[in-house]
Amino acid sequence: MSHIAKRIAGISLGAAVLCGLSMQADAQLLTHKDLSVEVATQIAMTAVDTCKANGYNVSAHVLGREGQVVVAMRNPAAGFATFENSMKKAYTARTTRAPSGKFADAVKGNPNAAQFFLTNFVAAQGALPIMVGNDTIGAIGISGAPGGDKDEVCAKAGIDKVAAQLR
Amino acid sequence: MKTIAIIAGLSLAGLLAGSANAQLITHKDLSLPTAVTMAQTALQTCKAQGYSVSANVLGRSGEVIVAMRGDDTGPHTLENSFKKAWTSRAQRAPSVNFANTLKDNPTAGARSLSNMVPAQGALPIMVGNDVIGAIGVSGAPGGDKDEACAKSGIEKVAADLK
Repeated sequence: MSHIAKRIAGISLGAAVLCGLSMQADAQLLTHKDLSVEVATQIAMTAVDTCKANGYNVSAHVLGREGQVVVAMRNPAAGFATFENSMKKAYTARTTRAPSGKFADAVKGNPNAAQFFLTNFVAAQGALPIMVGNDTIGAIGISGAPGGDKDEVCAKAGIDKVAAQLR
Repeated sequence: MKTIAIIAGLSLAGLLAGSANAQLITHKDLSLPTAVTMAQTALQTCKAQGYSVSANVLGRSGEVIVAMRGDDTGPHTLENSFKKAWTSRAQRAPSVNFANTLKDNPTAGARSLSNMVPAQGALPIMVGNDVIGAIGVSGAPGGDKDEACAKSGIEKVAADLK
């Protein structure tokens, strides 16, 4: 092995060891809460029931931390677009970690907002993030009421119902 | 000319028969609360037996009415429960029937259709002889165990299925 090659090998080895050590120091598993299907079902059913009591038939989606569907509920008494819309609203709320209505306000008058070129974003009120402290663990989206504000009221009722568990 | 007259006559008869038969269809369909009860019951039954599963309840047109991803289930189980249910709804039979069909004939035509899966674990939801949907379950170690949970979901709402 030439002198230069030895030096390079030495530096590489040193860097690798350092790197390995520093990675090890930072390497820890994540500990966090996630939605159970029972809690998610309670959230969704409470939202659907609340809207029904208010006179509106709605569909609902509860998404988890990765935007995955935990519970999806199509209300055959609601319009058929409501199923997809409730998913997209929830997706928007989950990924922005904010009410979907906030996104709708933010992009008002800006039809070329970059988010419109991403999948599943929708500028419509009716979804809220599901939080444990400051951690967004999912979102609930509602669609079918005559107005996103009315959808959002039901989404909120769903979250409020399980507030004690969201900690 | 005579032939044309006959054809015209037949067409006219066809039209008349058509309008005489034209009636709307009356049938039962799943409501959301019924579908939720079925899916929840299936998940709880499997959980009581020690199996974490996902479930899909589909309606008459194969549309998802309820989808539930079970806690700590494999990521494929939600899709698989959907496909089992689809298979069951499409063939108006337990999805295990399709599995048996493919055993005998691995190139059966339905193998090439979307969403068909030769796996046990889904049952059609019936009102009398009318198939109004299907429930599919996935996640237990064996399609027979999935099917038992699907069955418990249907039995839970048996009184409403009429």
